[in-house]
Amino acid sequence: MVLTIEGLTLEFEGLHPLTGVSMSVDDGALAALVGPNGAGKTCVLNCVGGFYTPKAGRIRFGDAMIQGLAPYQIAARGIARTFQFVELFRGMSVLDNILLGRHRHMRSGVLAGGIFWGRSRREETLHRRRAEEIIEFLELERHRTELIATLPFGVQKLVAIGRALAMEPTLLLLDEPSTGMNREEKENLARFLLRIKHELRTTMLWVEHDMELVGDLADTVTVLDFGRKIAEGPPAEVLRDPLVAEAYLGRAYARERGAG
Amino acid sequence: MRGGGYFKTTYAADLALVDTRLRRRALAALVFLLLVLPRVASPFILDLVAQTALAAVGALALNVLTGLAGQISLGHAGFIAAGAFTTGLLVENGLRSPLIALPAAAVVGAALGIVVGIPALRLKGLYLALGTLALHHVVLYACAEFQNHWGANTGVSVPPPALGPWVLKGVVAWYYALTLAAALTLALSVNLRRSRAGRAWMAIRDREIAAESVGIDVARYKVLAFVWSSAITAVAGALFAYHRAFVSVEAFGFFLAVEYIAMIIIGGLGSALGAVLGAAFVTLLPHVLDAMVAGLRLAGGAAYYLFPLKFGAFGLLMAVFLLFEPQGLVGIWRRVRNWFALWPLRYRPLRSAS
Repeated sequence: MVLTIEGLTLEFEGLHPLTGVSMSVDDGALAALVGPNGAGKTCVLNCVGGFYTPKAGRIRFGDAMIQGLAPYQIAARGIARTFQFVELFRGMSVLDNILLGRHRHMRSGVLAGGIFWGRSRREETLHRRRAEEIIEFLELERHRTELIATLPFGVQKLVAIGRALAMEPTLLLLDEPSTGMNREEKENLARFLLRIKHELRTTMLWVEHDMELVGDLADTVTVLDFGRKIAEGPPAEVLRDPLVAEAYLGRAYARERGAG
Repeated sequence: MRGGGYFKTTYAADLALVDTRLRRRALAALVFLLLVLPRVASPFILDLVAQTALAAVGALALNVLTGLAGQISLGHAGFIAAGAFTTGLLVENGLRSPLIALPAAAVVGAALGIVVGIPALRLKGLYLALGTLALHHVVLYACAEFQNHWGANTGVSVPPPALGPWVLKGVVAWYYALTLAAALTLALSVNLRRSRAGRAWMAIRDREIAAESVGIDVARYKVLAFVWSSAITAVAGALFAYHRAFVSVEAFGFFLAVEYIAMIIIGGLGSALGAVLGAAFVTLLPHVLDAMVAGLRLAGGAAYYLFPLKFGAFGLLMAVFLLFEPQGLVGIWRRVRNWFALWPLRYRPLRSAS
């Protein structure tokens, strides 16, 4: 198990976005996390990433408990994430954004960077090579030196994945990577997700709204509704679960389909 | 944008700052020009260049904090005063060597940077501006106390810096020394922009949450930005004290802090070249205005009434740049450069048929 979540409960002044959620992600798996709007999917990612502090529950990453750590500490342990609304560094180039993913693998400080000679220069060249590999992997070559602010949203989403991949994470958290993408971009995304899984062997926890993508790609699916887990298992089973249909489509539809 | 025809085969070549033959020649020409300038220019011009270079050191330091790390500071004059008064204090106590004064100024500046940087973790935007303004007043108050304590109410005189038998004196020597200081600071700033720490600062400027998510310790890097910027600024203050040969609190008023903000905004926020251009612009503007007023040959007291124009001109120019050229002088430079790079096939915006 790369990630194990036990009894995760989150509370904001009387609101309960998550209640006793438990789930786990296998090594090398592409695990989908789905649910209707407001089900608490992003809250799970924010708890794992350290952006929210859960009221109760435990999050185990590898051998260590990580609940309560600061986001940068969690990132340093090898959890990378992308955001629903990309959250890229808009005033910087694609290359610089991806190089920032290398931050945790680099060492030079302010003075060494200012002098830019010897070790810091070699380090920069070395990590530039790694960044270029990511750029090639995601087919972003022609955007390499462009500013983020000038790129279409679909490309920005890929750059965000590139920045996360540059961290060489053990676990990659993806928050609705397909949102705002057209059909062709989604097909490309599906290809990249499979390549990340099979070639880089990175474990992924993937929040997604597009059930077609989930059904085709995910190894396991966990379904949340109103902050509680209502189903989990292989996609073929879970997506046919009447409880899941009810969560998404309402009781009447689920009953009708169940009867038919 | 870079012109076509230069094909690089290594990442080291792509990282190089001076990467084309044209750029190498331009840099060589600039260095040559700066070296021979004392032979052709008048002492007045040399002094202006030296002042510009000194201002550029301070502007480059502020640019790291505000332009790269995105932390606004109105306390810049305070940091300069801290460096200048550290030098004054040491000189008063018999420690005259610049080898002591300059590092001491850097240490005092760095310490002040920590003092401001830690509360700055909780302050943003306007509140940070007010917080740093408070620092400015605290530092100036402390400096004024020292000044009175020494019994010299008007200020402290600083002898020229000496290394053994060699004494830094005269317009030409100061011209070389300050230009070299500015060149070194420029190199540090430019290098920071293409290395890990500078990128981390820009990441914090653009999106703090995302910076954390890639593993940047945001608090640490914010304090580092203050420490780095204020240490260099304090060194600039020490050089200022030696250059003027005199330290007095009157020289470090709030208007000085505004001038430095003006330099980096007029020059182009976030750009090292912009900071240098802005420093030149703000330093030379009063002299240009003086020359223009003198050139008008106005009768009697009219010139006297034009004097306040100098102060008004700053405000007006800041507003004009913010409105019409938010990228500053460096934005104009980039457009001119692109025009030549694309000539004669330059892009013309489409016009409507009417």
